[in-house]
Amino acid sequence: MYTLGIDIGSTTSKCVILKDGEYVYAKGLAVGGLGTQGPEIALNTIWNESGLTKSDIARTIVTGYGRNRFEGGDGEVSELTCHALGGRFVFEDLRTVIDIGGQDAKVITLSESGKMSNFVMNDKCAAGTGRFLDVMAGILCVDINDFEKYAEKSKSPASISSTCTVFAESEVISQLANGVEMPDLIAGICDSVATRVASLARRAGVRETVCMSGGVARNGAVRKAMEKELGVRIEFDPLAQYFGAIGAALYAHRQLTR
Amino acid sequence: MVNELLKEFHEIAASPKAQMDRYLAEGRKVVLTAPVYTPEELIHSMGFVPFGAWGADTELKRAKEYCPAFLCSIVQSILELGMTDVYKGASAIVIPSLCDTLKTLGENWKYAVKDIPFIPMTYPQNRKPEFGMNFTIAGYERVKADLEKLGGTFSNEALAHSNEIYNRHNKAMRDLDEVLARHPEVGAAARSDVFKSAWFMDKAEHTELVEKLIDALKNQEAGEAKLPVLVSGILTDAPGLNEILDDLGMHIVADDVAAQSRQYRTDVPAGDDALKALAQKFSGMDNCSVLYNQEKPRIKWIADTAKARGAKGVIVVMTKFCDPEEFDYPLIKKACDAADIPVAIVEVDRQMEHYEQVRTNLETFRDILMM
Ligand code: SF4
Repeated sequence: MYTLGIDIGSTTSKCVILKDGEYVYAKGLAVGGLGTQGPEIALNTIWNESGLTKSDIARTIVTGYGRNRFEGGDGEVSELTCHALGGRFVFEDLRTVIDIGGQDAKVITLSESGKMSNFVMNDKCAAGTGRFLDVMAGILCVDINDFEKYAEKSKSPASISSTCTVFAESEVISQLANGVEMPDLIAGICDSVATRVASLARRAGVRETVCMSGGVARNGAVRKAMEKELGVRIEFDPLAQYFGAIGAALYAHRQLTR
Repeated sequence: MVNELLKEFHEIAASPKAQMDRYLAEGRKVVLTAPVYTPEELIHSMGFVPFGAWGADTELKRAKEYCPAFLCSIVQSILELGMTDVYKGASAIVIPSLCDTLKTLGENWKYAVKDIPFIPMTYPQNRKPEFGMNFTIAGYERVKADLEKLGGTFSNEALAHSNEIYNRHNKAMRDLDEVLARHPEVGAAARSDVFKSAWFMDKAEHTELVEKLIDALKNQEAGEAKLPVLVSGILTDAPGLNEILDDLGMHIVADDVAAQSRQYRTDVPAGDDALKALAQKFSGMDNCSVLYNQEKPRIKWIADTAKARGAKGVIVVMTKFCDPEEFDYPLIKKACDAADIPVAIVEVDRQMEHYEQVRTNLETFRDILMM
């Protein structure tokens, strides 16, 4: 039995097909989330990759910001529920998921048995989100994928004290003008995201095993900064960006089998 | 019958202006009452219709001339409506001193809304001891004197009568809250309408309508069970919020909402001196973020009531920038955690147009409660 999970985020769309709720049969990702061609492109990728068609899918669950607008699913589920399910699917002892997406950050805790027990969201603010990192990468003219490489060379990370992305932008520009080295600046930017998200995480209650999900999870510099800030090891899996879609597909499978 | 009555409540709740115009056309004088507690009984006894002024879901433009962005939007929208003549025709506004933001509202009102006089109701911080009660009475005396200037007349008998009318209304609202806890088919939006309409009606009229609803509900079989929750906060009348609660199949089995049940928990005790009895009521009130009490009994009240009413979770609806409520939240969370009652917090304000974050939050909370 194949189930499909579609995660329509604010900046990307992801989909995953699970076979028998046991393993990832196919996956697709496209830039562009809610209100763009992104979901369609991601779906085309998955049909091409899997050789399956819509009629092979027993159930489709949609998650993410765009879930309520998407037509063609069998149901919608909140992305927090899906990230918790998807994270636990990959890490079986998972207790805390830190999800940093394009526009927001969320922390979800799970009980020992894997039941979602608490969550905290930061909303209406770009600080501590993928958006913040994108803006900073833009100012510095550095590819965001190179952040880790730069941050590793930092000797003394710069301090970015503004909590607001707009103010942080001018702070970074003045640091540049003062001659602060790029590695120190980039490490400072990652630290600032980590500090903000860590305080969210502490509010939710951090328990190991901890993992990161969402697009920013791929950024090793932020992961390391989070580990330093929280004093725990943070697991990473290359599927991290797909946790929401995996969770949705798993949810669909559970609905059919329970 | 139930649906017809709910429709009537909805119409009243959705069109306060029409209600106010109706009273004015009948030749009655209307006095606006700002949040959170005002001596409505006194205003009523002096011949005025007390009329709730909790602002509205609206864009703030003129209020910004007086208010910094970090004042709660309830207060800002009250000022906005005042400045844009929506409250035109009212004889006065009584604004209590129960939080710092309300204190600024009174002061700003004096300059911003010239044709509706501001009457301060200054309450003591320590309302229980004798000296606190005397302070409250002094506050009432000021309101009384200002209302007399507007043509109101005071008598002990009239106040005693109004106290009775309000006590009866309190009881009707408490009964309704209990009955609604057994009727999941009455959704959050309809429940909100019933409570909200109370602000725009003469209390005797509202009591009559509420008593009819209670009777009708008693004769109606309870609908299918939904997810029982307790809702806490200052104000929860936003249609966007109630639509989500209804979509998610949540059933409010109790509320700790300032604009709803917190108003009706305490009656005026019997006594020869009606004004003193009213002050005794205020001194007896509790379990509210704006009523100072070092012991914070409200926290235990929330956890205990959630348990007693069988709520599976507590939803705290936080009015953005409301510091009294913000201060209580960590304590509520801690007490509910200890009692094994999950808590969700959603932030709302009167300028909010999009409720997607709230939906995601509450949808996840429902999953926590149900999975
Ligand atoms: S919402 Fe809070 S801050 Fe605003 S008036 Fe009410 S108690 Fe004061």
